[in-house]
Amino acid sequence: MLRSFLTYHRETLRLKCAGLTQEQLAQPLPPSDMTLGGMMKHLALVESSWFEEVFAGGSYLPPFDTVDWDADFDWDWHSAADDSPEELRALFDEAVRRADAVIDDALSRGGLEQESVQKSRRVDSTFSLRRILVHMIEEYARHNGHADLIRESIDGQTGE
Amino acid sequence: MTQTFDLSGRTEAPLRADEVTALRGFLDYQRDTFRWKCAGLTQDQLARTHPPSTVTLGGMMKHLALNEAGWFGTTLAGTPHPPPFDAVDWDADPDWEWRTAAADSPEQLRALYDDCVRRADASIDDALARGGLDTQSVGQSSDGGAFSLRWILLHLIEEYARHNGHADLIRESIDGVTGE
Repeated sequence: MLRSFLTYHRETLRLKCAGLTQEQLAQPLPPSDMTLGGMMKHLALVESSWFEEVFAGGSYLPPFDTVDWDADFDWDWHSAADDSPEELRALFDEAVRRADAVIDDALSRGGLEQESVQKSRRVDSTFSLRRILVHMIEEYARHNGHADLIRESIDGQTGE
Repeated sequence: MTQTFDLSGRTEAPLRADEVTALRGFLDYQRDTFRWKCAGLTQDQLARTHPPSTVTLGGMMKHLALNEAGWFGTTLAGTPHPPPFDAVDWDADPDWEWRTAAADSPEQLRALYDDCVRRADASIDDALARGGLDTQSVGQSSDGGAFSLRWILLHLIEEYARHNGHADLIRESIDGVTGE
């Protein structure tokens, strides 16, 4: 059930970003500076970060592994304007594919109570796989809420 | 205009917990985030849109109050809508809650919202005591199946999170306040 909700929101984001040019993907809805292209790159990073890095203890998906995050904490959002729609979509799809491989692997070994390899940066605790999946659903849903208003401002398209 | 909000009371979802605690923790976190996004605004500000969208924060308060009553009251437990939702002709005015919110004061909207959340929590407590997260809803979906309490809780978490995404951009356009 958790995975089907996650899939639904990943598909919703793809739909909200579909059929737009590079320029449209870089168009904000002021005063916010968020863009749909930035959001795709951000969610690719979030997928890699939670599933590959925090849960499985691996490293970030390229190009995120070589970014100087201290120099630009929001590099994923900022750098997206230089990427083509095809590049953004390929990166997003690859991040989702690798995240699913981590989830498949974990579920072949046990249940949703399994704990992450990495601990929280804020408190001395690991995360359960269930906690990460529910968090990803709320993370996507919140950003899809942003995407709803941004997409409507670009070409009038609305819908759940 | 800048304004300081006290976020210390906001419930954070636990990192490792049993399923009931985790799902309710996430729902409470989303509810508190929504209250924060609507806090400290005037009636006029709550009725403002961020064009071209026609969504308002006041309308969203009334809409989410209706969602709490609809899912946890009517669908899960089979109880009728509380006032004022029980007297609305929904066929004639399907967007009544969005449309009428502009006439309500911030205090009225917040009281209605809090009352619906309180009733929803009582209904969740009751269902959990009966059959845990597998408790089947009294009301059925359009294809004739019941919803489990687990499904309804997850759906409300995503429903809130999506609306909180709308609320982020609307609030920022009203007075510049941002934040997760």
